[in-house]
Amino acid sequence: MRKGLRKRNLVGYGFIAPALIFYAVFFGFPVVFSLLVSTRRWNMLVPFEEARFYGFRHFEYLLKNELFMRALLNTCLYAIITVFVTISLSLIFATLINKSKFSVLWRFLYFTPIVTPPVAIGTIWNYLYKPNNGVFNHILGSVGIDPVYWLTDPNTVLFAVMITAIWGGIGSSMLIFTAGIQNIPQAYYDAAKIDGAGPFRQFWNITIPMLKPTILFLTATGMIGAWQVFDLPFIMGKNAPAKSIMTVSGYVYESAFQSMRMGRASAGAFILFIVIFIVTIFILRAFRKGGMSGYED
Amino acid sequence: MKKVFLVILIVAMIFSISAMAKTHLVWSVHWTDFQVDGVKDEDGNLVTKGIQQYVDEYMALNPEIEIEIQSVPFDEYLKKILISHTAGQVSDIYGLYSLWGVQLVESGILDNVPAEVEKLVSENCVEAAYNGSMIDGKLRGIPMEIDNYALLYNKDILAESGFENPPKTWQEMAEMASKMTKRSEDGTVDRYGFAFLSGWDSAVVHPYLSLLYSLGGNMFNEDFTECTLDSPEALEALKEELVLFKNGATDPAASVYGFASGKAAMIIMAPWYETSLRISFKDEYENKVGVAPFPYLKTPMTAGYTWFLGVDRASNHKKEAWEFLKWLTFDKMENGASRLGELMALNIAAIPPMKFDIEAYPDELDDLYTSVFVNELKNTISEPNVAQGQEIKTILMREIVEAWHGQKSPEEALRIAKEEIDEILEEFYF
Amino acid sequence: MKTDITGIPERRKKRNIKKTILTIIKYIVVITGAICMVLPFFWLISSSLMTSQELMADTPRWFPEVPQWNNYVEVPKRVPILKYYKNSLITAGIATLLVLITSSLSGYAFAKIKFKGRKFVFRFVLSTMMFPVFIFLIPNYYLMKQLGWLTNYMSLIIPFAVSGYGIFLIRQFVMSIPDELLDSARIDGAGEMRIYMKIVLPILKPAMATLATLTFIGLWNSFLWPLIITSSVQDLMTLPVGVSRLSVAFSTSENQHLILAGLVYQVVPMVILFLYLQKNYIKGFVLSGFGNL
Repeated sequence: MRKGLRKRNLVGYGFIAPALIFYAVFFGFPVVFSLLVSTRRWNMLVPFEEARFYGFRHFEYLLKNELFMRALLNTCLYAIITVFVTISLSLIFATLINKSKFSVLWRFLYFTPIVTPPVAIGTIWNYLYKPNNGVFNHILGSVGIDPVYWLTDPNTVLFAVMITAIWGGIGSSMLIFTAGIQNIPQAYYDAAKIDGAGPFRQFWNITIPMLKPTILFLTATGMIGAWQVFDLPFIMGKNAPAKSIMTVSGYVYESAFQSMRMGRASAGAFILFIVIFIVTIFILRAFRKGGMSGYED
Repeated sequence: MKKVFLVILIVAMIFSISAMAKTHLVWSVHWTDFQVDGVKDEDGNLVTKGIQQYVDEYMALNPEIEIEIQSVPFDEYLKKILISHTAGQVSDIYGLYSLWGVQLVESGILDNVPAEVEKLVSENCVEAAYNGSMIDGKLRGIPMEIDNYALLYNKDILAESGFENPPKTWQEMAEMASKMTKRSEDGTVDRYGFAFLSGWDSAVVHPYLSLLYSLGGNMFNEDFTECTLDSPEALEALKEELVLFKNGATDPAASVYGFASGKAAMIIMAPWYETSLRISFKDEYENKVGVAPFPYLKTPMTAGYTWFLGVDRASNHKKEAWEFLKWLTFDKMENGASRLGELMALNIAAIPPMKFDIEAYPDELDDLYTSVFVNELKNTISEPNVAQGQEIKTILMREIVEAWHGQKSPEEALRIAKEEIDEILEEFYF
Repeated sequence: MKTDITGIPERRKKRNIKKTILTIIKYIVVITGAICMVLPFFWLISSSLMTSQELMADTPRWFPEVPQWNNYVEVPKRVPILKYYKNSLITAGIATLLVLITSSLSGYAFAKIKFKGRKFVFRFVLSTMMFPVFIFLIPNYYLMKQLGWLTNYMSLIIPFAVSGYGIFLIRQFVMSIPDELLDSARIDGAGEMRIYMKIVLPILKPAMATLATLTFIGLWNSFLWPLIITSSVQDLMTLPVGVSRLSVAFSTSENQHLILAGLVYQVVPMVILFLYLQKNYIKGFVLSGFGNL
């Protein structure tokens, strides 16, 4: 039996060997290097060996810096709201489309935001958000609400970007949900129908529980991605006061490539990692408590 | 047979030696597309030269030199230099925005300008560009472009509101702007009397600096040890900007890009916008577009910024690089202009900084649009080449924008900006 | 049971009406959603056929006055679009292939081979996804230089050959394969590699298709890293970087029509890929188990 165990270990590690080697080189080295950089002051123009030691003062600076902390807050709001809403909407749409006619057509149309380049997204949404006769304000006006200065008002800009992000994120989650839904045996639904359950009941009591593992996967990976958001706020937030739209990745990027403070930027990236790590553990624990098996063995 | 073989061998050796002896220079530019490859007409014939053609000309004259042009879009240019440097990848020649140059100089990246080149520059260059290419009191490269700001106005809209002439002072401009703003029923603005340039640091800071300079003020003291945004001039300059927000002439949602469609009557702009204007106004260009000097507060002044060509100290071919640059910028063609001057005037549509180049291209540089910018060069003060220039400008930009939004008073905004900027100055100038 | 003259029970008629109303609502929602989703994509195609003047208008037009098909001809004249296609296809294609291989091998092992320390190593893999991408930029560039890969495809492929997301995805998938199926094969003497290739891989087809689609799209559109590498080595330039060279600094809208045409060039292969994999997708998913993840 022990021989079998050893063989299993060997085979197991054999299978994951390519990945591990990769990580050793392309993950291990960068992480260690960045950790070192975060304790130094380095402008990337002098050789790294000449960078002055700085201890953990970058971390201290960041945690006291108003803009960075606002960035953390903005990113936090952004992550929680976009992930929650995107997953909910994708699930609803995936369910609706699943049993519809022309489902392939709908699936394609819902997928197009994923392949649409940010330039096109930016232009259209800028137009939709125009304060003067823009589409959204037009709609608001017809129900008597005052026009909103979506992308320049510090109180609304983050919210406006979130809407665009949710719109853009639905497609890929839908892809994964669709697969999951198609694997729920029709028998379950038939049985429920016989028992008199309507479509909402079926959705709530069959679809959602059966999809819990998929929801976990999408929530975890969605969170990890959302906390690192950079593109949309960067493109769409240019005309609003920085504090209301700055994200952690945006701050890190600016520190590195505009202010040439690689040490501070690396420290910021590590703080972001720690936050993501804690959040992810929290999510996984929450799902486990909810009786979801299949993540751990 | 043996003789033939020997001849072939010798010829081959000569070729290979000359190939080995070819000097390879890499020139990083922030220009793309037709700026590099030249403007071609429908049949593919070259109409206006791009950098590639000038480089080809030089290589034909100097067969032992090979110049490779690496084109990196402006937004990515600095980033590329930084990342490449970490692994020791350097270009030989750079076209640098002066402010980027400060850090490069302080890290010892840039090679010293040869004395004879420096002499040529000081004799021929427009003062604002010469000063703009000086970092820590020394010239750091050959100035290649100078930009400043002016007022663009829509002649039709001005006439409609009863104004025959564009405003001369800022106060006049603010008055006129408030009269030209039109609102829709829902309270949003259909047409702005004025729109501020915004969206990146220079956009917000340079017009502000222009106002500050026209009051005789400055952002820093002589040796950059203190930020002087607490001066009365600094406060007044910001207050004058805020007048336009208070009297309804503009608001943070106004965009300069609305000028092309008549959604903004007056805007502040730089020389590089000309082509876009021609495209959008088409035949009405001459009739509608008016250009006037930057509206001043006390004395006519505008802020400017420069680009210069520099050589990397780590380059293995510094001498050849400077030789090429000298040829490009000072070797005169038949019309008395340099090739760089021709490139700037005809292709890039920017202002070349050498006086002989400006004189050689009256049609391009003395036209409806550019002539005003060129004339105002005498009233142009280049932005200060301070360490961490972009970081500092971004701080100031953010405070100004918050003041525009009414989130802080101008006193508060400038106070905070000064505080943060002073901290940075302490890091680098003490 | 009460019936009326048509013979249909009243209760069932009420249910039918309710059902029809719900169906109508469903289609309204789906169609409205679809229109919202496709609008920017539609505008992309439409605007790529406009002139730069039309594009400078304050409000975007929805249709060009005269479709400028010439824009598509002009783009290859300005930039070597075929070369970009080649480079993008090679780099994104090979990298995707490598991701599929490493993700399925690792995913299977994490799910079904009970080796020592597997929980810990898997958590490690998960945590690699949590580091901001930024951290890898400079160190990887340095590594590429040391390995001498700065001037060939390797620098565009190898750093992306393994994906934590892919490993996670495949693992979840594999976990739904019944253990009995694998154990009986093991008892029959089949080695893990055989099981992986003969049993697991076929079942994984739809998961692999999804992973392939998402990975390929991400790689195809990636901009920052290829820019850093290929601006010094123009022969390697990929499509997004190449298209960006159509935008002329500070001349804002001069080449806007060409940029949009270039973007359409960029988008078309992804649409084709999606449609192609769609067919695989539905059939496959029904057969396999994405079930209890």
